[in-house]
Amino acid sequence: MEEKQPIIHIKNIRKSFFLPSEKHNTLVEFLHNPLRLFKPAGEQYSVLKDIDLDIYPGEFVGIMGRNGSGKSTLLKIMAGIYEPTSGSVKVNGKLVPFLELGVGFNPELTARENVYLNGVILGMKKNALKEKYAEIVEFAELEKFMEVPLKNFSSGMQVRLAFSIAIMADADVYLLDEVLAVGDVAFQEKCFNVFRKYKAEGKTVVLVTHAPASVKDFCDRAVFIKDGLIQPANSVDEVIQAYING
Amino acid sequence: MLNYFELLWQFITTDFKLRYKNSYLGIIWIVLKPLAMFSIIYVIWSNIFKMGPEYKMGLLLGIIMMNFFSEAVMMGMDALMSKAGIILKIKFPREVVIYSGVTIALIDFVFNMIVFGIFCIFTPVTTTFLGVLLFLMAILSIFILTLGLSLFSSIIFIKLRDIHNLVEVALQLVFWATPIYYTLTMMPENLQKIIKLNPLTLIVTYARKGLITGNTVRTEDFIQLGVVFLICCLVLLLGNIFFKKKVSKIAEYF
Repeated sequence: MEEKQPIIHIKNIRKSFFLPSEKHNTLVEFLHNPLRLFKPAGEQYSVLKDIDLDIYPGEFVGIMGRNGSGKSTLLKIMAGIYEPTSGSVKVNGKLVPFLELGVGFNPELTARENVYLNGVILGMKKNALKEKYAEIVEFAELEKFMEVPLKNFSSGMQVRLAFSIAIMADADVYLLDEVLAVGDVAFQEKCFNVFRKYKAEGKTVVLVTHAPASVKDFCDRAVFIKDGLIQPANSVDEVIQAYING
Repeated sequence: MLNYFELLWQFITTDFKLRYKNSYLGIIWIVLKPLAMFSIIYVIWSNIFKMGPEYKMGLLLGIIMMNFFSEAVMMGMDALMSKAGIILKIKFPREVVIYSGVTIALIDFVFNMIVFGIFCIFTPVTTTFLGVLLFLMAILSIFILTLGLSLFSSIIFIKLRDIHNLVEVALQLVFWATPIYYTLTMMPENLQKIIKLNPLTLIVTYARKGLITGNTVRTEDFIQLGVVFLICCLVLLLGNIFFKKKVSKIAEYF
């Protein structure tokens, strides 16, 4: 049997952050021990200790874990924003991260200007954006408000606009970080429809969430991160159970 | 690759739009402001200090070039920090923000030169084709130099915030170490040697020579400025190496 090539290949990843233990901000403290400026007191704290994870094309993978367990750090490493302290990440395909909706949105610019700004930042071509502009506006249901500065939008409207742009981004892998938690019920349903569409199209999605229901509904596989390690589990239900038990 | 330039263009146009958002005159300020500022300088130096046309136009050009240098240095240094929100959320070639910052300073410079052109109507200058070439080479030198410096300073600024204040003071020092208000010959001999070490001294001198007394431009000028130009390119090259090496780790330090 032919082995399938993973689209995201994560091997032995460790990620540590520097955790300062004391501050030395005053001149007197500095004079007391000037060398500390170059070697501040503190320790390395490993958020992720040893993560191995292969994600295959077409998979819908949920990542669960408590606050501060390193879910977002892992996502940022996949997205190439953080470098792992050790280990390797390989992504074979175009990846679009949605760690936050509306990256680069500026409150002073109009909704229309923000569509182009955000779209280009997400890696879309300007011409493609022009073609899809009407579709974006329609999906966001904001036809009347496109010339209004974004600062006058409600947070729900901003999220709708951001999401509508985001789904136009064409990629092989999508990374989603708890973006489902916003918007009204009708809009959430729309978002879920988009996820179903991704699934049907065979796109790969990595979803970080605290909602067991969305993991159950969409994910083929789920992993539970605790103490910087992926906890062994055989099924999505086991992962949800582990998450609920903490 | 195409998106690289689209991203660059998007950053440039956005930052430009934002600057004049919510003002009634909007983009007109980009010409109006330097026009007003240079008028003050022009009137003072022609009526109170009664300086000749060559000095006055040289002064304006010098100030415009130093403004370009200072703005490019500051915008380039702040570039990574001011785009932290985007850098923390998505991967893209980070150097784009540096290029956009310095290019905005260049665009401002172009508009300042348009204003300079208006002053040339009242006080004509002599320039030649070769003179304009020499001038363009001087400007390109500043552009490349500030790009190179920004590739260093933008990274250092994230780890060491003190550098912001330090650079502001240093810019003031560089301004007075460049013959803008004074001429080299007014200085004592040993001080002249120090001032000549400042690459901006040569850049400003040749830009003035090219644009104000263009008929005196000779081949040697190109060779001398060419040396400065190569040094600027070296700074850019080193900056690129430094930036490539350090930039992948900056996201954690914001």
